[in-house]
Amino acid sequence: MDNQPADDPMISRESWPVVLWLSRWLEQSEREAVLGDLIEYGGGGRGAIANVLGLVVRRRTAVFLDWKLWVAVLLIVLPLSYLLSAVAQTAASLGAVYSWMYLNNWDWALTRDAGFWYVLREMATNFGITCMVLACWSWSGGFLMGLLPKAILRASRNVFIVLLASFQFGEAPSRVLQLWMHFRGLPLSPPIPDVNAPITANIFYRVLCPWIVLAALVALPVMSGIRQGRSLPSGWKMRVILPILAAISLLIMLTQGPGFDLLFGAAMREWLWRNRNAVQMLPILCCWPMLYFMAVGFGRYRRGKAVVAQ
Amino acid sequence: MVWGRLILIGTVDRREIMYYIVMQMIGEFEYLILTSAARLGRDSYGASIRREIEEATGRRCSIGALYTTLDRLEAKGFVKTWMGEPTPERGGRSKRLVEVTASGVKEASNFFRAITRISKGASWTTNRPTTR
Repeated sequence: MDNQPADDPMISRESWPVVLWLSRWLEQSEREAVLGDLIEYGGGGRGAIANVLGLVVRRRTAVFLDWKLWVAVLLIVLPLSYLLSAVAQTAASLGAVYSWMYLNNWDWALTRDAGFWYVLREMATNFGITCMVLACWSWSGGFLMGLLPKAILRASRNVFIVLLASFQFGEAPSRVLQLWMHFRGLPLSPPIPDVNAPITANIFYRVLCPWIVLAALVALPVMSGIRQGRSLPSGWKMRVILPILAAISLLIMLTQGPGFDLLFGAAMREWLWRNRNAVQMLPILCCWPMLYFMAVGFGRYRRGKAVVAQ
Repeated sequence: MVWGRLILIGTVDRREIMYYIVMQMIGEFEYLILTSAARLGRDSYGASIRREIEEATGRRCSIGALYTTLDRLEAKGFVKTWMGEPTPERGGRSKRLVEVTASGVKEASNFFRAITRISKGASWTTNRPTTR
């Protein structure tokens, strides 16, 4: 497929695979033109590598000079990565506690106890809903990112991944919350002994579990959402309704972020506290992507059936 | 970049300064590409333009600079580019063919006139010594 410049003594066979590999970072049509130019005009093995590398670097960095990218980063990518990181950390610690309780302290005798099954059911439901809501939030965020102009989409996605990983590394949500409380003059909560010390002592629960949650329930759904956002359904109703639903989901996610209540006065905080059960139920509404996927799947099934019938 | 050019020519001709401010004149590399493409005519594409520029200037012309400048010229409406048919001498790969538009011709000739005017009396055009 990738013809080597056999007749061209200027580009060596050793450097050609490197040139080909580098050129994969270019758009398909540009890749064609550049490789053709190199085969025709040459310029030496190292020269060819430097030329392609130079073009790739120029193309990759050019997008960072686009103001639209920075607007998208400030308004969508940064808040989204921060909030998803915060919620993912909560889900990961919940998962770590539940897993530790059952996996590290398993006793077959417990299975004979009705209370054991009751608590297990409750915990599994709670954790399952948390994971589902997190995945749906991530998908909604990705969906909105997918609506960004094509020119800045790839860079936005890359910035999102870097920010998400940075927030995870730096435990940003808890640090930002402390900083926020400090600037608001609010008293910091006194240091309390780590009640989950036996869990956090285990490297799997402390290090691996948060990354697994981040990858499975944030990164993957975001990528799926981006793909879906790029190929919106053709009907105008869906083109309007889906982005609105995604935006509402993300606004609801904002209410679940750490320190959300600190944004308001005492009266509002008290109201939020009194209605905390209703506020905690709000995220369930964000699971609309599940219904959307079911509807899409059902539609495809019906179309497939109709084709078979014809 | 514009201010840098203004400082360079500011003391020479006020009309040139006004031209820079109002028209945002093309750069010298853009001029080289426009001229090469115009000279090459139907045979104008990445590799041939690169060859022309290297032969004329005696300097290396990187593909990165060439293609990004071509994009800029296309965005300004000074050239039109499209992908040609694959050819065997290029390993079955297509060329990015280039055609200079009417506004590209106008810009290049404006640049040439400005350079010619501004060069009048310069030591390297009259063979005078370079220092006073």
